[in-house]
Amino acid sequence: MSKRTPLDYSINKPLSTDYNPFRYVVKDIPLFISLILILSFGLLMLYSSSGQSLAMVSRQFIYILGGLAIMTFVSHLKPESYKNILMHSYWLGFLMLIYVLINPAEGYSTSRWIDLGFFSFQPSEILRLILPLSLVAYLCRKESKIKFSDWFLTTFAALLVSYLIFEQPDLGTSLIVFTSGMIPIFLAGLPLRIIASYLLIIALISPYVWSNLLEYQKQRILTYFDSNVDPLGDGWNIAQSQTAIGSGGFFGKGYLQGTQSQLNFIPESHSDFIFSVIGEELGLLGIAFLFVVYSFILWRVFKIGLMAQSTFERLACCSLGFIFLLFILINVSMVVGIIPVVGVPLPLISQGGTSIVVHLLAFGVILSSKRPQL
Amino acid sequence: MKNLQDLRKEEMEIKSLKGRFRVILYPLLVLCLIGSFKIVQLTVLQQDSFEAESDKNRIVEIPIYPARGLFKLEDGTVIAENIVTQELLIKRSLLGISKLQIDLLKEKVFEETRKINLPNKNGNPEEFILLAGRLTEKEIARYELQKDSLPNVVIRAKLRRYLPHGNLFSHVIGHLGPVDKEDRVIFSDRQYSYDAYVGKVGLERAYEQELKGVSGKRVVEVDVFGNQVREIERISPKRPSDITVTLNLKLQQLAKEELNGRRGAVVALDPNTGKVKALVSSPDYNPNSLNQSELANSLSKEDLEDAPFFNRAISGSYPPASTLKPFIGLLGLEAEVIQEDTIIEDKGFFQLKEDGRKYRGWKEDGHGKVNLKKAIVESSDVYFYQLSSQLTIDRISDFLSMFGFGEITGIDLVTESKSILPNRNWKLGTMGETWFVGDTINIGIGQGYITSTPLQLAVSISALANKGKTYKPVLAVRNNFNPENYFEVFLREVQHWDVIEESMISVIESWNGTAHNLYSEDSISIAGKTGTAQIKSLMDQELTVSEEYEDVRQNIRDRDHALFASYGPIPEPNLVVVVIVENGESGSAVAAPIAKKLIEEYQNEKKNEQTNPS
Repeated sequence: MSKRTPLDYSINKPLSTDYNPFRYVVKDIPLFISLILILSFGLLMLYSSSGQSLAMVSRQFIYILGGLAIMTFVSHLKPESYKNILMHSYWLGFLMLIYVLINPAEGYSTSRWIDLGFFSFQPSEILRLILPLSLVAYLCRKESKIKFSDWFLTTFAALLVSYLIFEQPDLGTSLIVFTSGMIPIFLAGLPLRIIASYLLIIALISPYVWSNLLEYQKQRILTYFDSNVDPLGDGWNIAQSQTAIGSGGFFGKGYLQGTQSQLNFIPESHSDFIFSVIGEELGLLGIAFLFVVYSFILWRVFKIGLMAQSTFERLACCSLGFIFLLFILINVSMVVGIIPVVGVPLPLISQGGTSIVVHLLAFGVILSSKRPQL
Repeated sequence: MKNLQDLRKEEMEIKSLKGRFRVILYPLLVLCLIGSFKIVQLTVLQQDSFEAESDKNRIVEIPIYPARGLFKLEDGTVIAENIVTQELLIKRSLLGISKLQIDLLKEKVFEETRKINLPNKNGNPEEFILLAGRLTEKEIARYELQKDSLPNVVIRAKLRRYLPHGNLFSHVIGHLGPVDKEDRVIFSDRQYSYDAYVGKVGLERAYEQELKGVSGKRVVEVDVFGNQVREIERISPKRPSDITVTLNLKLQQLAKEELNGRRGAVVALDPNTGKVKALVSSPDYNPNSLNQSELANSLSKEDLEDAPFFNRAISGSYPPASTLKPFIGLLGLEAEVIQEDTIIEDKGFFQLKEDGRKYRGWKEDGHGKVNLKKAIVESSDVYFYQLSSQLTIDRISDFLSMFGFGEITGIDLVTESKSILPNRNWKLGTMGETWFVGDTINIGIGQGYITSTPLQLAVSISALANKGKTYKPVLAVRNNFNPENYFEVFLREVQHWDVIEESMISVIESWNGTAHNLYSEDSISIAGKTGTAQIKSLMDQELTVSEEYEDVRQNIRDRDHALFASYGPIPEPNLVVVVIVENGESGSAVAAPIAKKLIEEYQNEKKNEQTNPS
């Protein structure tokens, strides 16, 4: 607060007069540097976990460059100018989900993917971040107080896309998307009465939902309770990844020296399970480094968010921050075996173009909300 | 410029946001703590167990088996070796779905010349099982042509046991077979792969541990697909030492030749060392076909009736018949029941005083006045009926046990039989009857309950040849071989040995000897005793022995066994030979010539050895 300029002086101008072009371009140097740090770290780990595939690393690098360009571009826009686009992007996500249900990409057992030939992606991965932004945009579309019906409308919108994802079928992602939709609604001030009625409804319909879950979805949930039941099924993944992290110990086995990862014992080691490669090769020390950088990023995001000028900016930043934290938490908990296996990448680290670009886009929104004098 | 109301509203909003912010943040922080705790637990507290787990994942030990030890004769001739054969295998799990491929294999690769025995479907599904062994070059060529149509059938080279002499050493060396549960228990300190072959009988079984050697191992790192990434460590296997077999190739060949496929056995051993020089059981079999190193026609039903796998030389129990007479005579002298010149009147039968029952000799009219020497030379039954009736079973049994009857000799083969040396307790135990004098009388001529294996008889005879001293019979020897003492019989009067030996020499040399047909003036001197073992007892008192036997002869399997037990040359015997020809009828005509040829051949061998000491 101490850096804040006095109100009676020029409100939106920093006191310091020295012009820093770098600071002008990246808007927030600490956040930008920590993002670069974590993205580089991710590329290094991807090189190790992909079986030292330069092709995969280069591809990821191109996505990162593209994502950074988008981030920088968005960060220089005024939130007011793209608020409407964000609000209507909900329909884009909705249509993509309908599309994959009707027209699933070949070669996949579930209808999750859109295959553009040169590039295939999961719409649900985009929706994780687009949904909360569009809901925030919707709730803040007017200056006036949020209407009572808006709470139900936004809840319904979140439920609708979650259901479509559930139909793919992908229970884990469906829950995550729903949660990321509910976070901004809650932050925006969802009345306690409505929360109570929601909880009541959930309690009433949950037995019915359970009986309608597919066998493999039940299996996945049950696997979590005892990963020794099915050593070659889902539990195998968890056991192997625990083994990797555990055997890494405090200092790790050394970069490129992880036997579990280099000999392919860790499934999906370059995407969802990349955290176990970090644990095996760099040990608790590497994990601690990662967590410190993540924490710093989050601290910065929340600081920007809570200090932002408009309701939209505050809600968007805080929601994105929480969703970012939630993804890290879910991915790490899954990899160490606290929760069942769900398809959530480790943000900014796991291989995957969509995930990187969408996350950097979100950071663009956050940076654009930054008060210049902060 | 915002007005005051707006500022107030914003302040309220931010306050509410901060409250709700904490409602989400704090639970998430608690979850972060739980996750961090779990990570610390994995990496710090459980590191050791996970490290072990991770090593178990990637490190695989692959045993390296040494080639099986060889069998050689003392002159260096290899009689059991290992050869490389090409084999066709199939994974057990694929067996059920590969019927078309197996049909194709039969038709195109083997051109219907081979039968493929479909192996058992039960077992480890990952195991490769043998479809056809020892492929010929043509079969390999045809397989290569058809390879693409036979994706489930794989070809593999393997070391297999091969006996260059085929059947000749079958009952000595024995054969190998797939390792089974029992083998794994017996040889538990040796590692066997699932498809290992292990010695099943013969020396292969007795020396399994030595022949197998100590396996080494390769420690390799594998990836999740089981591909070997690199070798971490290699421990070379210990090559097993070769085993020297005491047999003499010429004698073995001669004995097999002379038996000529008839059912019977020949055992020849050196009484001065216990080394077995020939051990033949006939009929025999080809161990190579069981070792999967040679293709052989399967045995017919008739072949199997003759029990080719039965080692008659060590497991066959035969009545020793008249070859027992020298031992009974020796006991008579020792027990002072008879003197060398005690004369018994042989009228063709012996009558028991107790019940008046008649025991007939083999010669209708009897041998007249008979002393011990004549009784052995002419093989008078009546003499030994009378002698044994006076000796009692207790003395006979005790005396014969001193010569190793009723006990295994301890030769290094696994299926040796003890045979039967009966006494009162034995009869009471096995038959539930008390001992009769009649039983003793039968034993006096080596009939009745008493049985003996050819090997056992050979060892007992070697006691006669050595004047009491015997050595344990052996087939396999080490470099620093020392004969192992077996038993030694001490007589009250040492010259009794000579009395028996003289009688046994006269069996051949005396004009009235039962084996006088062996005699020729210029040949070496041999001591021996013929025997004719009755299979079917002659019960009919009305008919003469020869008349009754005419009836018995009708069935070949009821005919008498021909036996000959001998040693030579006198005075320094170096070979004891026992020959048994089942249903051969005449010890002198059938069995004795074989024994003499062996002893003579052995002398030639010895002479050659001395002139060419290479």
